[in-house]
Amino acid sequence: MASSSVRRGVSRLSHLLQNTSPLASSAHSCSGRCPGLSSGELAPFGSRMASSQIVRNRMKSVKSIQKITKAMKMVAASKLRGVQVKAENSRGFWQPFVALLGDHPDIESKKNVILTISSDRGLCGGINSTSVKFSKAMFTLSASEEPAKYVILGEKGKVQLQRDSKKNIQMVVTDIQKMPINFTQISMIADEILKNVEFDTIKIIYNKFGSVVSFLPSVATIPSPEVIARESEAGGKLEQLESYEIEGGDSKAEVLQNLSEFQFAAMLFNASLENACSEQGARMSAMDSSTRNASEMLEKLTLKYNRSRQASITTELIEIISGAAALEAAS
Amino acid sequence: MVLSLRVMAPNRIVWNSEVGEIILSTNSGQIGILPNHAPLLTALDMGVSKIRSGGQWSAMASMGGFTMIDNNRVTILVNEAEVSDEIDLVEAQKDYEVAQMELAQAEGRKRKIEANLAFKRAKAGFYLLLDSNQ
Repeated sequence: MASSSVRRGVSRLSHLLQNTSPLASSAHSCSGRCPGLSSGELAPFGSRMASSQIVRNRMKSVKSIQKITKAMKMVAASKLRGVQVKAENSRGFWQPFVALLGDHPDIESKKNVILTISSDRGLCGGINSTSVKFSKAMFTLSASEEPAKYVILGEKGKVQLQRDSKKNIQMVVTDIQKMPINFTQISMIADEILKNVEFDTIKIIYNKFGSVVSFLPSVATIPSPEVIARESEAGGKLEQLESYEIEGGDSKAEVLQNLSEFQFAAMLFNASLENACSEQGARMSAMDSSTRNASEMLEKLTLKYNRSRQASITTELIEIISGAAALEAAS
Repeated sequence: MVLSLRVMAPNRIVWNSEVGEIILSTNSGQIGILPNHAPLLTALDMGVSKIRSGGQWSAMASMGGFTMIDNNRVTILVNEAEVSDEIDLVEAQKDYEVAQMELAQAEGRKRKIEANLAFKRAKAGFYLLLDSNQ
């Protein structure tokens, strides 16, 4: 009895060894490689030792993953509440600029800078890939004699863009979210960017927060003071600027410079807050689907565990009974 | 005719109502704004602006910003602002004295700049209260 089962077991093992893709052909969910065994070993099919312990270990780890993702979802939800209020308050801050200068993504410009805002941490769904995709599209669209340059905020964007556009990256700023975002911090970053990067327009690419489930990739265009001056003359896009008396500085150019810098800081502030909101929202939904997947997996594993437990009990019973029957027949 | 005034800081709306007259402090002096002013775009300095609404003058300390005036609509964007009734006199005086001391003792360029900024802030806040209490 025992020898025949061993022979059967051996033949099944050899079947697996010949087959190069056991995963594709197998009907068992735990096929080929089992996480409980060291790599390289193949789990024997259909024999008693297949599952009980291994499935139980797997169940334990899936359960702890479920708890972790549930907690992460709640943390993201509470962080979202805080940032959302700030983001909504900051929207009123840049609206006067748009009312004054309008939004002209098609303004003529030779030196384009693309500012991509991304998150520092992962597990936040697809928002970073969306931002990077958009940035690359903007990059090809804004091709003029000089190739555009990237300024990247956030670790995830840097990692993705470094892979194929390394030579076009001018500046990278990471770890912005160590402290809650405030205007002073953003205006310092804006200052640094303005000092080190020459530009005709900056296009800020970020995920605008629509609602907890909708994040819209958006572009904010900031022209440089020279471009503002050029376009505010007759026939340009910013003609309405001429109807304003301009005071508060030694010259019109100085005021326009201040205006452009302030506009940049204000837009960047709003864009970072919106992106932070989108990040938390995306993380919430990613962790939520993760938790749901984990509970589904847990259900399947429980069924499997019970089946294997019952199967091993049945095999033991059969052995005992057949052993007893053999003894009876012998006597 | 009234002016409709909106003062906005990055994190909140400081003022949003109709007023009769505004006196702004820019870096080229003080400007008075009355209804039907010509369209204007100006930079604000760190200092005190006065607002007259319903015959009452209130004062507002601002830390730099921009003003846009168009069609009796005044929009002031500031880095930070405080209206006079929001500041406590004793605290403002203490802040002012502390900032003065820090400025005198500051060493190294970074600290000097920080102390200078803090001093300007405290001074604006303090003078704000002195003005409004007279």
